[in-house]
Amino acid sequence: MIALTLALRNLWKNRRRSLATLLAIAIGFAAINLFAGYIHNVYNGLRVSAMHGEGLGHLTIARRGFFEEGSLKPERFVFSRDELARLTGLLQQQSDITVISPRLSVSGLVSNGKLSTIFIAEGEDPDAANRMWRRGIGLPKLDATKPNAGLVSKKLAAMLGAEPGSDLVTFTSTLAGQTNALDLEMLKAWDTGTAATNDKSLRLPLSYVQRLLDTEGATRVVLLFKDGVDADAARASLAPKLKAAGFDVDIKTWVELSNFYRQVKNLFDLIFMFLFSIVFIVVLMSIVNTLSMSVMERVREIGTLRALGMRRRGIVSIFAVEGATLGALGCLIGIVISVALGTGITAGQFTYTPPSSSSPVPLSIAILPATLASTLALLSVVSMIAACWPARRAAHIEIVDALGHV
Amino acid sequence: MHNTSSSQPPEPQKPLISLTAVSKHYQLGKIAVPALRNVDLDIERGAFVALWGPSGSGKSSLLNLIGLVDMPSSGRVRLDGQDTAGLDDAARAGLRNRAIGFVFQGFNLIPVLSALENVMLPLTIRGSTRKLARQAAEQRLAEVGLVDFSHHRPDQLSGGQRQRVAIARALVTDPLIVVADEPTANLDANTGHQVIALMRELNQKQGVTFLFSTHDPRLIDAVDKLIRLADGQIETAPEAPHATAALHTEGALS
Repeated sequence: MIALTLALRNLWKNRRRSLATLLAIAIGFAAINLFAGYIHNVYNGLRVSAMHGEGLGHLTIARRGFFEEGSLKPERFVFSRDELARLTGLLQQQSDITVISPRLSVSGLVSNGKLSTIFIAEGEDPDAANRMWRRGIGLPKLDATKPNAGLVSKKLAAMLGAEPGSDLVTFTSTLAGQTNALDLEMLKAWDTGTAATNDKSLRLPLSYVQRLLDTEGATRVVLLFKDGVDADAARASLAPKLKAAGFDVDIKTWVELSNFYRQVKNLFDLIFMFLFSIVFIVVLMSIVNTLSMSVMERVREIGTLRALGMRRRGIVSIFAVEGATLGALGCLIGIVISVALGTGITAGQFTYTPPSSSSPVPLSIAILPATLASTLALLSVVSMIAACWPARRAAHIEIVDALGHV
Repeated sequence: MHNTSSSQPPEPQKPLISLTAVSKHYQLGKIAVPALRNVDLDIERGAFVALWGPSGSGKSSLLNLIGLVDMPSSGRVRLDGQDTAGLDDAARAGLRNRAIGFVFQGFNLIPVLSALENVMLPLTIRGSTRKLARQAAEQRLAEVGLVDFSHHRPDQLSGGQRQRVAIARALVTDPLIVVADEPTANLDANTGHQVIALMRELNQKQGVTFLFSTHDPRLIDAVDKLIRLADGQIETAPEAPHATAALHTEGALS
């Protein structure tokens, strides 16, 4: 109690110095939390984009080896119609799966009659695809009543001069290696969100791709689970059931399949660690510096307290409490700054275009109570630890020297 | 509230403070500078004793050893019969808190605490409840005539008032002895006189043992026993000055 009283009053007595330290901590705290709030929203946006926009769902099931060799020899990894029916039937027994979407990828040339260019496409069941995309991310829908109609990525549509209703032709090789071509009606254009795919992507009905590749099967089955289901946990639960049913398959999560998400997350996590390290050092040095000055100014006081019978650990606790108080108060000011700036920036509806993105995205910052609380606890502990060095020095000053200090 | 020693029958054969062949050297670089040389000294309960001598004679060193804030280079320091040589830092801190009150030349009040909180401090350090500490501190502040200044901070008090607060703080634990280093050196003549009178009154009425170093002739006139130090040694045998011997014949002289 006496330690807290002395800590608070000495902080107030040296309020100008305390304020400078508090602001250093508060700004560092706000920097950490604003960045954490920003990348939280970025991760969330990328997650929604990967799961619902790219259509990766939670899990993708394919024959063992498909993820390594499937693009070279797709014919080896096709689930036949009967296998698909059996697999789908098994998956439908899982009540937490909301979408079961068989998929077949294809690449080839698309032409408007005058110009031909390459395309990559995903064939999927229109109903399943439309439910997969339901998350309000602005994607147009496939039309189950139009088996020869598909979506064309924006830049590809622009290159081909195609508009909704335009007739195109797709060319490719069947799985057996025969050349094949089909008419394609453009339903709508859509923005894939990434510059790398926006000039070459199609979304097509599964039946269309099956006809194009001359097969009745699919190479993958994508599963979307209910909200909040953890993909890794879902895989761990599903894998033994599929094995027991005789399916020799690999199951990948959306994180494993989304290179872009992983790369962005790794980069931002690295930047976050770098920022956190800087703030950590700034807080540590601010506290050490402030309390070292405080110790120097209060040598006689320390000697007096020791003469009056205070033990060394009592002296340590005075400065440790002072450090922790500075840390905690700095973090509280940091919370105010974080909430005010975070809310203000989000309300300002600023936009920016991230690298490799095809369109501007809103700059929004999430306020994360758990991160605020854990940063507060961590920086308070860091402050207390930082205080220990000058505090221990104070506690070991010889009483006679301290009393004679001017 | 009285000195615990005054409520027990005195034991003449066991002095309150006993120094046996005590020496103290300070190391200045490679040179050992002697501050005290082979000092033997007993101080009885209830005494009002002054250490007198020129600067550098060893007064402060002797007070530091008796106040248990320093350790002798050799020799024994006994407090109430207890040899203090084997005590670790925490035990010495506890003993200082229980048995010794300090009054410093520069008052050494904690600037961010009020007069009352400063007086409560030794009891707070001891772990007494706030209520008990407050009651004891208020009583001691009343005894030094500062009850109306309880909530003043040290910088709102005069020098004399600060030294009175320091005296109240020294007494609040009912110590066996109050050690005072030049308690009137920073006070004007009139205030110094009042502080001397206060200490003497507490000594006579409550039997508190006082040991102080001083250059102040008024203080020397007031003591029961004067210890003269020169070059780290007690120069003459303890004696009662003429001026006070007649006045304090009933005092606890050694």
